[in-house]
Amino acid sequence: MSDWEPKITTFLCHWCSYGAADLAGVSRLQYPHNFRVIRVPCSGRVSPKFILAAFRHGADGVWVSG
Amino acid sequence: MVTFKLNGVEVEGEEGQYILQVAQKYGVEIPTLCHHKALEPAGMCRLCTVEVFDGRRTRFVTSCNYPIWKGMEVFTDTEAVRSGRMLILEMLLARCPDVAIIKDLAKAYGIDEPRFKKENDDCILCGLCVRMCEKMGRSAISLTGRGVDMVVDTPFHLQTDVCMACGACASVCPTGHIKLEDITGRKIKQIPSEYDMGLKGRKPIYVPYAQAIPNTPVIDRTKCVHFKTGGCKVCTNFCGVNAIDHSQKDEVIELTVGSIILAPGFRPFDPTEFASYHYSSHPNVVTSMEFERILSASGPTMGHLVRPSDKKEPKKIAWLQCVGSRDLNKCDHGYCSSVCCMYAIKEAVIAKEHADKSLDCAIFYMDIRTHGKDFERYYDDARGKHGVRFINTRVPTVETIKGSDDILIRYTLQNGQPNEETFDMVVLSIGLETSPKVVEMARNMGIELTEGQFANTSSFRPVATAQDGIYVCGAFAGPKDIPQSVIEASSAAAEAGALLTSARNTLTKEKDIPEERNIIGERPRVGVFVCQCGINIGGLVDVPSVRDYAATLPYVEYASDNLYTCSQDSQENMAKIIKEKNLNRVVVAACTPKTHEPLFQETLVDAGLNKYVFEMTNIRNQCSWVHKDNPPMATAKAKDLVRMAVAKAALMEPLRESELEVDQRALVVGAGISGLVAAKTLSSQGYHVSLVEQSASLGGNALSLYKTWKGEHVQGHLAELINSVESDGNIDIYKNTRLGNVEGFVGNFKTTLIADGADKTIEHGIAVIATGGKEHTPDEYLYGKDPRVVTHLELDKMFLAEDQKLKEIKNAVFIQCVGSREPERPYCSRVCCTHSIESAIQLKELNPDITVYILFRDIRSYGEREYLYREARAKGVIFIRYELDQKPEVTGGKDGLEIKVINQVIGRPVILKADLVALASAIVSPRDEKLAQFFKIPMNEDGFFIEAHAKLGPSEFATDGVFLCGMAHYPKPIDESVAQAQAAVSRAVTLLARQKVKVSGTVAQVNPVMCSSCGVCVDICPYSAPSFIKQGPFTGRAEVNPVLCKGCGLCVASCRSGALNLKGFGTDQIMAMINEI
Repeated sequence: MSDWEPKITTFLCHWCSYGAADLAGVSRLQYPHNFRVIRVPCSGRVSPKFILAAFRHGADGVWVSG
Repeated sequence: MVTFKLNGVEVEGEEGQYILQVAQKYGVEIPTLCHHKALEPAGMCRLCTVEVFDGRRTRFVTSCNYPIWKGMEVFTDTEAVRSGRMLILEMLLARCPDVAIIKDLAKAYGIDEPRFKKENDDCILCGLCVRMCEKMGRSAISLTGRGVDMVVDTPFHLQTDVCMACGACASVCPTGHIKLEDITGRKIKQIPSEYDMGLKGRKPIYVPYAQAIPNTPVIDRTKCVHFKTGGCKVCTNFCGVNAIDHSQKDEVIELTVGSIILAPGFRPFDPTEFASYHYSSHPNVVTSMEFERILSASGPTMGHLVRPSDKKEPKKIAWLQCVGSRDLNKCDHGYCSSVCCMYAIKEAVIAKEHADKSLDCAIFYMDIRTHGKDFERYYDDARGKHGVRFINTRVPTVETIKGSDDILIRYTLQNGQPNEETFDMVVLSIGLETSPKVVEMARNMGIELTEGQFANTSSFRPVATAQDGIYVCGAFAGPKDIPQSVIEASSAAAEAGALLTSARNTLTKEKDIPEERNIIGERPRVGVFVCQCGINIGGLVDVPSVRDYAATLPYVEYASDNLYTCSQDSQENMAKIIKEKNLNRVVVAACTPKTHEPLFQETLVDAGLNKYVFEMTNIRNQCSWVHKDNPPMATAKAKDLVRMAVAKAALMEPLRESELEVDQRALVVGAGISGLVAAKTLSSQGYHVSLVEQSASLGGNALSLYKTWKGEHVQGHLAELINSVESDGNIDIYKNTRLGNVEGFVGNFKTTLIADGADKTIEHGIAVIATGGKEHTPDEYLYGKDPRVVTHLELDKMFLAEDQKLKEIKNAVFIQCVGSREPERPYCSRVCCTHSIESAIQLKELNPDITVYILFRDIRSYGEREYLYREARAKGVIFIRYELDQKPEVTGGKDGLEIKVINQVIGRPVILKADLVALASAIVSPRDEKLAQFFKIPMNEDGFFIEAHAKLGPSEFATDGVFLCGMAHYPKPIDESVAQAQAAVSRAVTLLARQKVKVSGTVAQVNPVMCSSCGVCVDICPYSAPSFIKQGPFTGRAEVNPVLCKGCGLCVASCRSGALNLKGFGTDQIMAMINEI
């Protein structure tokens, strides 16, 4: 259990959070690798169905940012 | 065509060809040592012997010079042929027992030791060199002597002038008998590659650099043998498409133009003359430009940081600042080159990134000049986070160490303490200078030059020369960095554009866009392009494995990787591949779509695809850059991201874009110098402007300024500018007015103006934000408590009022960095050093007996402002450095102010008496959060607006149709504000002049059959895009106006009937991505 790493599905708004994630890269901020980003045009695009689908496909956490 | 049989197989060759040529064409291997594609064959080495059957008997012939004929039968590998070759090889091996190529060949034919007596030769007398020398048009050598005495030699074995040491003979010699070093008697240097700063060689035919446009090789006529002797042309034998044309001549092209923009740039200073730095004699003393190449992924060491002498990774590197700058002694360059401090810091930080953290980087400097936007933070990080050492001293000389490749630096600290350190490498931070050719061009064109040989311009028209219609930009108009050069480039374009307004659109060339291929109904054929981004991605992520993985994914027809996917050559290649492989979807795994998506989409369009069948995934900013300590996981993540992108791409459909009219009117917010110039420039380009100013007067901060750094009186010029704006019928001025609300988007803004409680709504297509900055009110040094302590602007007002008190001042003290470069405001206000120096000189002029002190942390009189610094010192202004943790202390008394400051040289406090203390107070932002929200434009921690791109887009926002200039961007002097105001207009005009913009195809769409008419989408949309259908079969159901839709997808997520979908981010597409995580 100690090696367990959660899988996190992330929805990032193209205009803000996705840009922030880019900026984190430019600033060489280091963070864990275990989340995967899905770029959306706006966090308003994220339907509850997406969140449920992410859990259904094995995500341990879902992060919506926008 | 001649047909014959080669090893029993029917083959074809052209009339006049030899057997060997045809055999090579068909991939039949025949050994040879003396054959060369470009030379007439001679049959000297005899190794290519084959058997020819003419119908009656077989003969042994040398295949290299035996012409083919119809019906012949050739055998290249019979027992007899092999035994013949074995004998030849055995004899060659006996003659040249140590020549690798002969040993290898002999071994291949089963010979270990020759039966004959071994000799010690390495020439097989094949005569290839002789024929090649003849081809070069020289014939300096021939086979001389007879029988056993035959050798390759010059006539009478004498050094000959006929030989030009071109090395062609050595390059073709199969055995290595001829060495160019033997001919010339010295070590041969390759032609230095200009791009790699001579750290790498290049050939006489070369592509200047990998991303050159056009990406076609060129012939260096000064080096090519053909242009010396008329011979050679060997290259033409190798070019498969006959593209080489030696007869091409330089052409003189005459153009009729209405305006000229000079952007000849600078030349890096050559430190060869500085013997004391050992630049030309010590390999480990390099220039900063050379160091850039060493750090570059496409450089001579592929980005691996090694020192030139022994290719060892350096452990200690020193940077010496101001080499060729701020130096009248050695090089007559009195100016500061502006960019070297920042690039040295950048190089030190990147060097530490490339090596490990233990790399010791030391920068020897006089003043650190990080006056650019966000530069001071970078400097702080370099010092604090990265541990770069900064040593405040100028190093006059470096010393070589006998028996070592290291370099010794002896230096003296500010307190007089001597010190010495050994470094593995020394980087000379060389300055910028104008090349003599450019100086000559400027003279011919009548362009006035400054003391530093830069174009002389005025602060109020910073890119205009004294010659009407000729404009300058970039480093030719004074040393400067990229953002400032880009600003000036746009500024020059605006000036030229204003001049040519009447000719606009008269010489337009339409881009030839190929017809879009209809891919509807086709099975997806996805192409995946994985980018290495130099070492940015490739240095961490295993790009080849990501590429190979991508090739295994469903629907992927093609996968490749590139060093730089965004380079011109890669783009051309991508377009070619799309066509060749008939791809109908493209995935690029590289950097961020926020900057690079449009570029790739253009390539798709050029290849006949709709631009929306494209998906980009970010394996740089969001993968390689942020998972540095775990390359395997970063590679695994990159694969996941590619898989998700491919899954989405397979479901993509071509989308259509709607067109939108661009309102031809402009709004300028703020009427300081920047706003006034922006309004004036827009009007001169023929556009109507609404100029909004919150205060009662036009002019902003400039109303309080006395002189520019070039000595121009601000008020006269300002009055002229205000007058021209006020009298311009195309500019509506709104004073005492604020913005109440902003609606709309690029091309169609609606802004509510509030003045005296009354509202007015104006419509405009673009907006220029010129809201400026203001002087920080100090809360230290007795400011506000003692009237003898004033700020810059207050002192300027005294100058303007010709205040008689100024003449009576005996002692004046300026304190720099008041509120700037402090933890609370970690940025440099850029203008204050120059301003203080200028005011100090002014005080000296009013009263030569005055004593003036300037207490500073670093003097930042960048560019040619340095002359003022020099002048001030010559006039007796005394400069005293202080540290942030030992700030001066001001105390007041009846008979004057007392300032206590630690003198760094003696290490003790000194007390200065003063009857005037001038504070170089910071420039701060008014922090107009509302404005930021109105136009959806970002603001940084310091309250300055964030431009679209720090280097390449300094005068525009990421938000379409909104532009930026002046101190709203960052503190800057008048000349730079004027340039940026013109630049913002130049960028705006690129939009206005098009008159129409295309609206993204990423919009919501309703399936009216599924719609339940609930109206949630109509209510929820912030852009009023959805509405109810008024007539027809679907009356009452929703529809979306694609022109108004911004593609946010809010309606889609809230649609309870599933009737809405967002094109480009469809539910099926996002679900496919979730599926693949």
